Amino acid sequence: MMHQTILSGSPTVSDDRDVHLRLDGLTKTYGNSVAVSALDLSVPKGELVALLGPSGCGKTTTLRMVAGLIQPTGGRIVVGSNDITAMPTYRRDMGLVFQSYALFPHMTVAKNVAFGLEMRSVPKAEIERRVKEALAMVRLEALAERKPRELSGGQQQRVALARALVIRPSILLLDEPLSNLDAKLRDEMRNEIRDIQQSLGITAVFVTHDQVEALSMCDKVVVMRAGKLEQVGTPIDVYEHPATPFVASFVGRTNRLEGRARGDGTVDVGPMSVRVPGRPGGNVEIMVRPHRIRLLDADAAQGASGEGTNLLSGRLTRVTFVGDLLQYQVDVGGTEIVVEAASDHGRGIRSVGSPVALAWRVEDTMVFGRSA
Amino acid sequence: MTAITASAPPAAPRLALGRTGTAIALLLPIALINAIGFILPVLNLLRMSFNEALAGGGVRETVTFENWTGLFGDSFYVELILNSITVSLSITLATLVVSYPIALYLHRSTGRWRTFLTVLVISPLLTSAVVRTYGWIALLADQGPIVSGIAALGFAPPRLMFNTTGVIIGLTEILMPYMILSLLAGFGRLDPRVEEAAMSLGAPPIKTFWRVILPLTVPGIALGCLLCFVLAVSSFITPKLLGGGRVFLLATEIYDQAIVTLNWPLAATLSMLVLIIFGAALAVYARILRAID
Amino acid sequence: MEADNTSVPMKILVALLFIFLLAPVILVVPLSFSGEQILSFPPESWSLRWYAALADNPKMISAFWTSLLLGAIVTAISLAVAIPAAYVIVRMRTLGSSFLYNLFTAPLLLPTIVLGLAILIVFASIGFLGTFPGLIIGHLVITLPYALRVLATTLGNLNLACEEAASTLGARPITVFRRVTLPMMAPGIVAATALCFLVSFDEVVITLFLTGPRLTTLPVELFHHVESRADPLVASVSVLLILLTLAVVMIVDRSVGLSKTFVK
Repeated sequence: MMHQTILSGSPTVSDDRDVHLRLDGLTKTYGNSVAVSALDLSVPKGELVALLGPSGCGKTTTLRMVAGLIQPTGGRIVVGSNDITAMPTYRRDMGLVFQSYALFPHMTVAKNVAFGLEMRSVPKAEIERRVKEALAMVRLEALAERKPRELSGGQQQRVALARALVIRPSILLLDEPLSNLDAKLRDEMRNEIRDIQQSLGITAVFVTHDQVEALSMCDKVVVMRAGKLEQVGTPIDVYEHPATPFVASFVGRTNRLEGRARGDGTVDVGPMSVRVPGRPGGNVEIMVRPHRIRLLDADAAQGASGEGTNLLSGRLTRVTFVGDLLQYQVDVGGTEIVVEAASDHGRGIRSVGSPVALAWRVEDTMVFGRSA
Repeated sequence: MTAITASAPPAAPRLALGRTGTAIALLLPIALINAIGFILPVLNLLRMSFNEALAGGGVRETVTFENWTGLFGDSFYVELILNSITVSLSITLATLVVSYPIALYLHRSTGRWRTFLTVLVISPLLTSAVVRTYGWIALLADQGPIVSGIAALGFAPPRLMFNTTGVIIGLTEILMPYMILSLLAGFGRLDPRVEEAAMSLGAPPIKTFWRVILPLTVPGIALGCLLCFVLAVSSFITPKLLGGGRVFLLATEIYDQAIVTLNWPLAATLSMLVLIIFGAALAVYARILRAID
Repeated sequence: MEADNTSVPMKILVALLFIFLLAPVILVVPLSFSGEQILSFPPESWSLRWYAALADNPKMISAFWTSLLLGAIVTAISLAVAIPAAYVIVRMRTLGSSFLYNLFTAPLLLPTIVLGLAILIVFASIGFLGTFPGLIIGHLVITLPYALRVLATTLGNLNLACEEAASTLGARPITVFRRVTLPMMAPGIVAATALCFLVSFDEVVITLFLTGPRLTTLPVELFHHVESRADPLVASVSVLLILLTLAVVMIVDRSVGLSKTFVK
């Protein structure tokens, strides 16, 4: 059985453009454990798609099957109209950028980049020209004769990118390419990879466990969990309309409340009543993102009340200053709710213990069915 | 969209036959040499220990336990076996005593000094046992510096060569690098801060050694002793040359029976006995390790 | 740096023990310049006569060349056989790799006196005794496990992703091996070469069983010489042997040092 996504309805990313890479029921099992379970996915030409999920969710296994480094147990991999499931790696024509860069330590930067072209018996003069071009693209012309170990992490990563792109692969695969870089470099490389991908118009699959990377760089995000698809959609889709509680909590931060829906648009959470969109029934999970909640003084609460707003009162238990954000922890009838607000020069910080009110729009409340 | 369930048969491991074939072809040479030079000879040796030796070096294919019963019925061999074991144990103990301070010192040193000392420890290993034994012959000879030195101090000059004492001295030195390296490997758990902690709690150095350092280094000691005992029991060059044909140990007897007397079944039986002693030493070692845990 | 929390008596003890450990090796150097007819230390006169005697000793010289040739051939075969074997065992983990690894390194567990006798008995029946091929196989039995161990460790420590990267770039398996795996193994190959050569060149016990009156190696010739008489000739040979070992170690240090500069 394949997993049915709730909101997008179809696991296909989009049908309005040519599908370039298609996975049909792709499966990989190791003995009794299932790494990837009957995965269906279509990637349109020229899109950058992120495979996002926690470690062990099967995203890297999927990518390695596409590259031919792992043989699938079942299913098909189709590029354009060719089934490449049984094709050996070296004939697949895919550029793969590794997490560990995997530069050849015994070759210079230029030799590393030239390797794929040599394998394709490209004439010498053309190799030289294309290596120059590729290194210019990643701004490393000056380091062509260096050995990989003489380069910084970011430079090595750019060589790896140039090496994968110089062969003009049909598809670019990126396996957690930024996870070994420090935070500042990561932001830079994110933009660089995105710019290059768009200027070349190359189809690319990007594996990451970092939601920020997935949301900020990619056309589509594929959220995976335990070898299965959880949701496929645009970054906005996935963030604003998560299909499952897992997606809601993995992509962005959320407050999670359990309760029982009455069927009239309200949900009982302990002694409180919360209004939600639609008229769900039964046991449900409610999620609200911390930055969607406004923190009000208890006495100012009445004015904020209204048809489209949830209003709860509680007591402030902790205030954390995180630089650009203020994080408040509020105890609401025994349940902890986190609220985030932009910090304004540290002004207006309320003191711990003071009574407060929480307000958020009904439409910002996410509801998911919950078994028993 | 309908789910496309994976109903197709699992994609066959690509070129399965070709891969296996390649693997076998690449392993064939090493397997062949292993078979001709190791498996076959060792099995044949085991078989040989149940053959009958004929006068003049002949061998009759049969199944007899006479080599084995004869070994334990002959007081010469019983003594030889016991002697081999006691000499090897003495050598092991002596090696431990002279190696331990060096290992402890090495463990505490750092940087270039440590590298330099480690090279000094390893360098004898790269020198032929014949050369090192030859050095000992020069040192231990009756007119040599040690005996003359002792005589000059007014003591009766001892005999240090062509007897068991010489063999023990020579082998102790030859096995030292093995012991030092094993001890060092086992010293991993010995953190200098533990010693400092013991001292800060008021333990004097001697007590610190007995109560803290020694117990922590037991695994290294056990490993080093196993290795040295096993190497001592089977050592040949040094007993042969420093013993001058007057010290009878298992390995020298195997050689003599094989080359001089040409009694291959007996040589084979003695070889198997060496392997049995190996097994027993390993069992003791495993027990000690388990006792520590 | 020196361990500074060590007491003076302990330092003196350690120094004495180091002297004990190194004495026999160091001793052969002055001994080789002895002017005496027989082995005595310290010599009463000094000369180069034992180096001259060595130059005039055709048996030693021919044994030296035999050892050198044998060591070179055994080393070459060891590498040619152990590199593919290590590759299969480490990289194609299918055929009970760890069993095969243990089987192929098992000869190191046997004492050489037992192994030598075992090989002697089998080789006697197939006419391999006292022959060069017999010596080669006898030495391979112990050099191959060392080579396999060093090469398998090297291979196991390589970044597999480099080989995968090469195949995604279009290199066939054999090209991946030739262009990426093998060059990355260089330090291990140098170490295995030195180890095989030194083990073969120094081997005495197994060789003692396999050599004949017309074919002998230098360590065996030395053994017989020490066994039969005590003169400083062996010291001069020993000095040359130590120099040769030193040369091999320095070559390894330089080349592994060099290759370290381009492998990470």
